[in-house]
Amino acid sequence: MTRPFLDIKGIRKTFGPVVAVEDVTLEVAKGEFLTFLGPSGSGKSTTLYAIAGFQPPTSGEVLLDGRSLLAVPSHKRNIGMVFQRYTLFPHLSVAENVAFPLRVRRRKDAEIDAKVARMLALVRLDGMGGRMPGQLSGGQQQRVALARALAYDPPVLLMDEPLSALDKKLREKIQLEIRRIHKETGVTILYVTHDQEEALRLSDRIAVFNRGRIEQTGTGRDLYENPATGFVAGFIGSSNFLPAEMERGEGDAAAVRLPDGTRLTGVRMHQRLGAGESCALMVRPERLRLETASTGGVPVRIDDVTYLGDSLHFLVQAPWRQQIGVRMPIASGIDAGLTSGTEARLVWPASAGHLFAGAS
Amino acid sequence: MAHGPSTMPAHGLPAAGRAPSLRRWDGLGYVLPAFLLLAFFFVLPVVALLLRSVLEPTPGLENFAKLLTTPTYAQVFLNTFTVAGVVTLASLLAGFPVAWLLAVLPGRWAAFLFGVILLSMWTNLLARTYAWMVLLQRTGVINRALMDVGLIDAPLPLIRNLAGVTIGMTYIMLPFVILPLHATLRAIDPAVLQAASLCGANRWQAFRRVLLPLSLPGVAAGSLMVFVMSLGYFVTPALLGGASTMMLAELIAQLVQSLLDWGMGGAAAFVLLVVTLALYALQVRFLGSGRMTAGGAG
Ligand SMILES: Nc1ncnc2c1ncn2[C@@H]1O[C@H](COP(=O)(O)OP(=O)(O)OP(=O)(O)O)[C@@H](O)[C@H]1O
Ligand SMILES: [Mg+2]
Repeated sequence: MTRPFLDIKGIRKTFGPVVAVEDVTLEVAKGEFLTFLGPSGSGKSTTLYAIAGFQPPTSGEVLLDGRSLLAVPSHKRNIGMVFQRYTLFPHLSVAENVAFPLRVRRRKDAEIDAKVARMLALVRLDGMGGRMPGQLSGGQQQRVALARALAYDPPVLLMDEPLSALDKKLREKIQLEIRRIHKETGVTILYVTHDQEEALRLSDRIAVFNRGRIEQTGTGRDLYENPATGFVAGFIGSSNFLPAEMERGEGDAAAVRLPDGTRLTGVRMHQRLGAGESCALMVRPERLRLETASTGGVPVRIDDVTYLGDSLHFLVQAPWRQQIGVRMPIASGIDAGLTSGTEARLVWPASAGHLFAGAS
Repeated sequence: MAHGPSTMPAHGLPAAGRAPSLRRWDGLGYVLPAFLLLAFFFVLPVVALLLRSVLEPTPGLENFAKLLTTPTYAQVFLNTFTVAGVVTLASLLAGFPVAWLLAVLPGRWAAFLFGVILLSMWTNLLARTYAWMVLLQRTGVINRALMDVGLIDAPLPLIRNLAGVTIGMTYIMLPFVILPLHATLRAIDPAVLQAASLCGANRWQAFRRVLLPLSLPGVAAGSLMVFVMSLGYFVTPALLGGASTMMLAELIAQLVQSLLDWGMGGAAAFVLLVVTLALYALQVRFLGSGRMTAGGAG
């Protein structure tokens, strides 16, 4: 087993009675792009700040390349960070902002000039060195902040929702830039966002935060296809949670009964559940199908149909008065009789169902 | 003095938030009462004083010539500018940490500190100055404490000299640097300082290269306020100073009240007014009149 590059061990942080981070443990490989994804207040920033050194954790340990970071003051950690808010030094030009970390390190002028030029080229802002931060757009400011954070070749770059103040178009453009820069520099990046699309687009791995803990860490595909908890399943992608009752389980497969009496076997079980326990069966909208000819599945009534170009989105009413979302690709051939107000059968392959504890 | 249009360095982009100048005079009618008030209570007396300074005892500029060439008067000017300068510097040095504390302390403590500062500001000026006399005199608390500790053998001369004037005035001027400084410091995003720290700046570098430059508008506003107020200060120099430390305001009072020399008094007052206006013009030229906020709120 090789030693992880960045090793976060059991971090906990409390502010008086408030527990901001309950227990976060995470191993990050060198050069990895790892994203913290989670709802507001789940402890993402606090974890990042513990690594940056602004808010020392109440307990736990952070090791970088085997050495503890916690005893090192933040100005000696040599870590790069891009903040959510614009933090360029407003009294310094773009070039001087990027030069700042090198000036405080007392590098030679020639070296600084060369590095600044290279950094501005990296973030595609060549020729803007003379501008003042106030004369830049938000996206440009964040790119300068990125150049400033990378100017001293930090081993780790922290980014706390750097794009959240930008509009969607610009955000996507800069996401591509960030990916390119990650590839070009090979820097290890910890990135915070609560935008799942952004997380999926950027990262090698995603750590899903919830209430000060990491619920699951894995690639986007892992999280989507094999969510470890109901929270992860609900947070990544869209999902339907059907109330169900556990009948019996063998290994990872379970048999369950839906409220209308429908029995399902071969459902994937992600948490240990006992017979008779009430649980939640998660099925993604795109794994569901509506059929008129079939006699199996769950009888439903179609409440609403929306045309989405490549697919149709249905809202259907289950016998137990739950609204369920169904998404069917138009290319798959949709029965013309599936219109609002008609009855149909809702079917899905057994393996598309994921069983979690607790009805939701 | 500064002529020409208000020149900002020409940037590639138009600076945001500047009102088109044509509309600037639109609301003139509304300020007319204030304008008349100012003309009647300020401009008129000043003009009257100026007239006396060039008319009495004989028409001409001899009052001004005398004022600027007599060694005694030169000493008064020197005293005035020295005290104003030293007081400005001292209040900046003492006021900056306090303003910083006010900006970073949690709400309740900041409010308390604010209260203390305001309370001291609202306490009667004479009372505060007499309190300093008690503290600073030969047998005062400060001298006795220093002697008890054994730091000095004989009492230090802390009163009836420039040291006393400076100490007393610095205390009185402190709020006038703390308040504008506090306003600028508060407008600085703490994340900017965190960024500086992660960039590798230690405390001193972060102060020197980020905090100080960003607080310059507040420093300038506070210094100017204190300097100008100090130039014309009367009570404290009169009570804590000695015969050889006379300042301009005392001189004017003496010329007018004791010597009934309205011509000389008017000339001295006029010089004071011109210096003050010149300093104000400098501030407007370099900092703008109303824009006393930190450079980087945007
Ligand atoms: N300085 C503080 N004092 C008290 N509570 C705090 C402090 N900082 C954070 N918290 C609390 O800790 C919890 C986690 O905060 P944190 O900022 O880490 O969340 P986050 O995941 O970054 O959320 P967001 O997506 O909104 O930025 C929140 O409940 C927050 O209110
Ligand atoms: Mg946050």
